[in-house]
Amino acid sequence: MRVIHKRNFLLALLLSASLFVPISAQQLTNTASKGSAVKLTFPVKDGSVRFAVIGDTGSGSEQQRDVGNMMAQYHAIYPFEFVLMMGDNVYGGEAPKDFEKKFSEPYKVLLDNKVKFYASLGNHDLPLQVNYTNFNMNGKEYYRFKKGNVAFYALNSNYMDKKQVEWLESELSKDTSEWKVCFFHHPPYSSAKAHGSDSQLREVVEPIFIKYGVNVVLTGHDHVYERIKPQKGIYYFVSGAGGKLRTGDVKDRSLLTEKSYDRDLHFMLFEVAGDQMYFQAISRTGETIDSGTITRSKRLATD
Amino acid sequence: MKCQKKLIIVLCALLTTAGSLVAQTNQKSALAPPIVVSPADKATIQSFEKQVKDYVDLRNKLKENTPKLSKDSTPEQINAFRTALEQSLRNARAGAKRGDLFRPETADYIRRTLKIEFQGKDRQALRDTVFETETKGVVLRVNYPYAQTAELSEMPATLLTKLPQLPKEVRYRFVGRNMLLVDRESNVIIDFMPDALP
Repeated sequence: MRVIHKRNFLLALLLSASLFVPISAQQLTNTASKGSAVKLTFPVKDGSVRFAVIGDTGSGSEQQRDVGNMMAQYHAIYPFEFVLMMGDNVYGGEAPKDFEKKFSEPYKVLLDNKVKFYASLGNHDLPLQVNYTNFNMNGKEYYRFKKGNVAFYALNSNYMDKKQVEWLESELSKDTSEWKVCFFHHPPYSSAKAHGSDSQLREVVEPIFIKYGVNVVLTGHDHVYERIKPQKGIYYFVSGAGGKLRTGDVKDRSLLTEKSYDRDLHFMLFEVAGDQMYFQAISRTGETIDSGTITRSKRLATD
Repeated sequence: MKCQKKLIIVLCALLTTAGSLVAQTNQKSALAPPIVVSPADKATIQSFEKQVKDYVDLRNKLKENTPKLSKDSTPEQINAFRTALEQSLRNARAGAKRGDLFRPETADYIRRTLKIEFQGKDRQALRDTVFETETKGVVLRVNYPYAQTAELSEMPATLLTKLPQLPKEVRYRFVGRNMLLVDRESNVIIDFMPDALP
């Protein structure tokens, strides 16, 4: 019996082994800009896919501008090509002056440097944002685009109707990309007290993510940072404090949390090179609050 | 040793069975199976869909006369388009009133659907999703726009698969216990049902 117990234990250990590997290797540092330490924890490989992530940004606050400025500092040493937006892009009205104050001004340096923004819609965003040129949504509430070996799917979690679900399933079923990343507003998993996990949405989208081998899911809505422990082989992030913050909102002893941060606003950087995806979460003041590497699972879609 | 071998075989068989069950669960469609509806309800849904189609035909005709909106628009162009479409709709539907689309039999069908969906273990999660929305400032008035500064309720994904399907121009939306039909682009309230949620 003891032999069997040991084997079972070993089996359980193998099954639950995470593919997460903390970065310990090369670190690039630039301390020249404005005296602040801008530290990059990426290898910066030739031909890699480089992007940033922001969520719940459109407040027009001083803090949002600080995040925009910090992103520009990082862009100077790590020229990411594009930014994914997790929704709530413009809070409290959508007059032209709102787009100016809550988007164009905070990210002026990035926009001037031809960085493209790809938006998804949040619960504070009117659907006509899909036509705004700088959000690159091509008039669609849900869309797909590809960069290198990574396919990105922007979804509208505010209105996940049958048509969208069918579209997602159809697109994913024929997608042969090495990496599949979905991004949208409401988090299927979250340890925040304000909103938390969206179980209704999860019930509908998670089986599709699993079936078609989605690797990473990026969300916002809760105004905190959280890296969720991998769920059924998928890596979930909540990045919803690019313009608003709920201090102390992450539950202390959540079983979902791998790493969380709710003391300041933040943004994220990513680099995808081959089977590795490097990520770094950075606070408004430039502090690295989380970093690591996800190794792409070789598992095939289940059908 | 024989006993241990037998146990290993049993455990392997159990693991294989569990694995195939997981695979089957993963392979099931994300969309709920179609609900079996009575002939009377089927007629109600068809009638509602016809009302919605008539509305969409009208608004698309009006849209042809508003400034065109490209996928590369400026905020000024978006604003101009929304305002123009809103004005055209309000003028063309000046006599619109509550219950034009949510007729009594449709409202009854939708209320029954919501009642079924908002029960059981998921009831609280559904209610949380709907009631956490900050809708202060929204005036429920047919043919008037939904307040631009107010939050939009997330429509629970599981519920959307059960309600009558809408064309892309029209959306369901909740404000508290009330259910609205809203024009997607102009944000004009087409109709609403008070106390739709149980």
